[in-house]
Amino acid sequence: MNVTIKHKVRIGAIIIAATLLIASLSACGGSSSDAVEKYGSDTLKLYIWGEYLGQNVISDFEKQYGVKVIIEYFDSNEMMYTKLLAGDSYDILVPSDYMIERLINKDMLQELDHSLITGLENIAEGVQNLVFDPDNTFSVPYLWGSVGLVYNTKTVDPAEIAEQGYSILKNTDYKGRIYFYDSERDAFMVALKALGYSMNTDNEDEINEAYEWLIEMNDTMSPIYVTDEVIDGMMSGIKDIGIVYSGDATVILDENEDMDFITPSEGTNIWCDSMVIPANAKNPLLAHEFISFMLTYDAAYDNSETVGYASNNQQVLDEMSSDEGMYADNTAYLPRNGYEKDEVFRDNIVLQKKLSELWIKVKAR
Amino acid sequence: MKKFRSMTYPYIIWIAVMIVIPMILIVFYAFTVEGNSVASIKFSFANFIRFFTDVIFLEVLLKSLYIAVVTTVVCVLLGYPIAYVIARLPSRQNMILILLITMPTWINMLVRTYAWMGLLQDGGVFSSILSVFGLGDVQILHTDFAVILGMVYNFIPFMILQIHTSLAKMDSSLLDAANDLGADGAKSFLKVTLPLSVPGIVSGITLVFLPAVSSFFIPKLLGGGQYVLVGNIIENQFLTAGDWNFGSAISLIMAVVIMISMFLTKKVDVKASSNGED
Amino acid sequence: MEKKKSIPSKIILVLTLLFFYLPIAYIILFSFNDSRSLTKFSGFSLQWYEKMFSDSTMMSAVLYTIIIAVIATAVSTIVGIITAIGLSKSRRIVRNMVEQINNLPVLNPDIVTGIGLLMLFSAFAINKGFMTMLLAHIMFCIPYVMLSVTPKLRSLDPNITDAAMDLGATPFQALYKVIVPQIKPGIVSGALIAFTMSFDDFIISYFVTGNGVQNISILVYTMSKRVNPSINALSTLVIVIITVALGIVNLVPIIREKKKRK
Repeated sequence: MNVTIKHKVRIGAIIIAATLLIASLSACGGSSSDAVEKYGSDTLKLYIWGEYLGQNVISDFEKQYGVKVIIEYFDSNEMMYTKLLAGDSYDILVPSDYMIERLINKDMLQELDHSLITGLENIAEGVQNLVFDPDNTFSVPYLWGSVGLVYNTKTVDPAEIAEQGYSILKNTDYKGRIYFYDSERDAFMVALKALGYSMNTDNEDEINEAYEWLIEMNDTMSPIYVTDEVIDGMMSGIKDIGIVYSGDATVILDENEDMDFITPSEGTNIWCDSMVIPANAKNPLLAHEFISFMLTYDAAYDNSETVGYASNNQQVLDEMSSDEGMYADNTAYLPRNGYEKDEVFRDNIVLQKKLSELWIKVKAR
Repeated sequence: MKKFRSMTYPYIIWIAVMIVIPMILIVFYAFTVEGNSVASIKFSFANFIRFFTDVIFLEVLLKSLYIAVVTTVVCVLLGYPIAYVIARLPSRQNMILILLITMPTWINMLVRTYAWMGLLQDGGVFSSILSVFGLGDVQILHTDFAVILGMVYNFIPFMILQIHTSLAKMDSSLLDAANDLGADGAKSFLKVTLPLSVPGIVSGITLVFLPAVSSFFIPKLLGGGQYVLVGNIIENQFLTAGDWNFGSAISLIMAVVIMISMFLTKKVDVKASSNGED
Repeated sequence: MEKKKSIPSKIILVLTLLFFYLPIAYIILFSFNDSRSLTKFSGFSLQWYEKMFSDSTMMSAVLYTIIIAVIATAVSTIVGIITAIGLSKSRRIVRNMVEQINNLPVLNPDIVTGIGLLMLFSAFAINKGFMTMLLAHIMFCIPYVMLSVTPKLRSLDPNITDAAMDLGATPFQALYKVIVPQIKPGIVSGALIAFTMSFDDFIISYFVTGNGVQNISILVYTMSKRVNPSINALSTLVIVIITVALGIVNLVPIIREKKKRK
């Protein structure tokens, strides 16, 4: 009887394997020896956020250059960083601002050769001269955005939320009807901004004040702490207010007309995910081509359209937010530019540890 | 006997490399501070002191244990009757049902949990059913109930499988003997079937309780971020805070607590199954 | 002994299957959803299936997941059975020690096991990829097999094995013909659990893989940043594959029997 079961399992496995082998081979990309001559290898290893690529960008890139792109995904900067610590080698990474700062400080990135990149002049104004890499020595922006509040116009007065900004998250009229983002960085950013401080502060008193702000919010508002579920939740109008990233807000506003988006007057976090080349990349030449490719109008358009975040290409940005553009009426698409109270996150691991612990204490009450 | 014993040697070497060495590394991290470099080795209890002096961590550990215990108990109470009924079926139906019960676990846990979120949502299927009874306003998602439901859903197949294993192919002559000696259905269950199935129950408890203590994903999704459990904290330490030392220390503490609980449970098992053999 | 199917039994079975398959039905339903929402159904559409089939990363992930799960289950079942039998005849100290060590991957949070293995592979400068993922899966599957088989072994009558060997059977024959058939339910449930653990694993796989080798769980977790119903389509596909495979595997003996009768 044992034999028959093993036998069955083997047959089953062979059938499945055969079917899928055929299926996956049919979806494979091609490669060519020209690429090997030009760049030394025909493979590019890309490590990027999940669902962060335009529909056709990878296949277009593969066809244009005759190469194969191996993609691995991460869903947080920290996961990416942990894998890098173990020595994994990639050709392109797309981390966030503060993480790039950390990688630069740890000498884990290589300097970009600007002579190998075309299109740097097309970089959107909003992400030029970023504080962590003002001259694009190590990074080239990929997609960017802000953080703000998505709210239901039917139940929340736009004037009220414009006036109260982040403080509306402590307005007990909305008790039990808010989503709060479950991340210590964003939570403290909101609290610090609401109190008028810098979100990068390491002043103990200010941090404690923010901590108390969050505790009060937690105790009086019965918020639901979520990460990505906020997108679906707000799309279905389950709660009235939520802290959301601008690109996700774009999607929400697209699907639900009642929703609107606002970046509060207290200021917010402007963030940017950029392409970098690790120091141990095996195919840096091809990596440079990839960066150039992602700066082109078509690729940038595809990325921005599919993912919903603000494009790195000024032309695309203008077009999308123009009157005939795809996101013409979408208040979430174009992040605020040049507002002095908006900040970019800086890397401070000590601070992050501390905020991490405080945040756990807020939630676990 | 010797021949049989030598069959274990390959595996012992394997676990020495694959399980013991990583664990030693973790223990090393737990008892040191100062980041991840080998250059500055300083043994200390700092991580452990930090854990035990901050009330919040103990609370979190207790909450995790609480959820794990409730999940395990529910799994035993619900799983046993189900396993019993299936074990009574003729062998082909038996096999099919076992497969049917296991198949949902092959769908990714995140996907299954998202499905429950959709089902339990305000305005979702269950809400609509409840509103027929006039209970439409009751919130199901983001409650303890939803968390336990999700946890049980995830773990009960393992419990059912283990209990079923010990019930299947049970020597029916024992039950016949009990009948002959005058025991009715309930008595023969209590005195014969139940004790003989205890190894299965204990094994099921092991398979549910152990992973349940370190689970955090399901509680986070179905209960909301306010469900901070030991698993969250450990992952947070390793990834976000980059404090592998503290994370390792917490894991060790958790591991010790679990091992003690299992040790106590095993004592019960030994007593119960030796009773059954009388 | 009669095996009656009473009404309460039937009710229990129906309720059980309902409970287990309600979310599954939900997943299948929403894989055909016209909009991106995971909670409001707005119309029938095959778009997610199109997206999924054209995504070669997804397809190869399905392949890797199944191959690794099948191999890991097979290897861990065989090794698990042999070791469990050997342990049942060993001294108590050895038994307890192995049991405790076996518990470690089961009770440790995946992140700890994952990072532990990451450090192990890094320390020995082993390139991460398919092999490391497979090794990791075998590592955490074997304890589950042993946990399923051992209770069954304990309830065995040791005299039968001795009797078989007295009658001239070699230890290997005694193992194969006497012990294994008796513990078959334990083997089956152990293999099923091992398969499940491998199929569904995320964090450990994430940290021990490399070179683009990814399994379904990794894709699902990293693609949940924004609502992605392709995942539902993928899960439905997995359900279909498994159902078909199980159907074939169960129908083959029935067909064979029918052929024999002719």
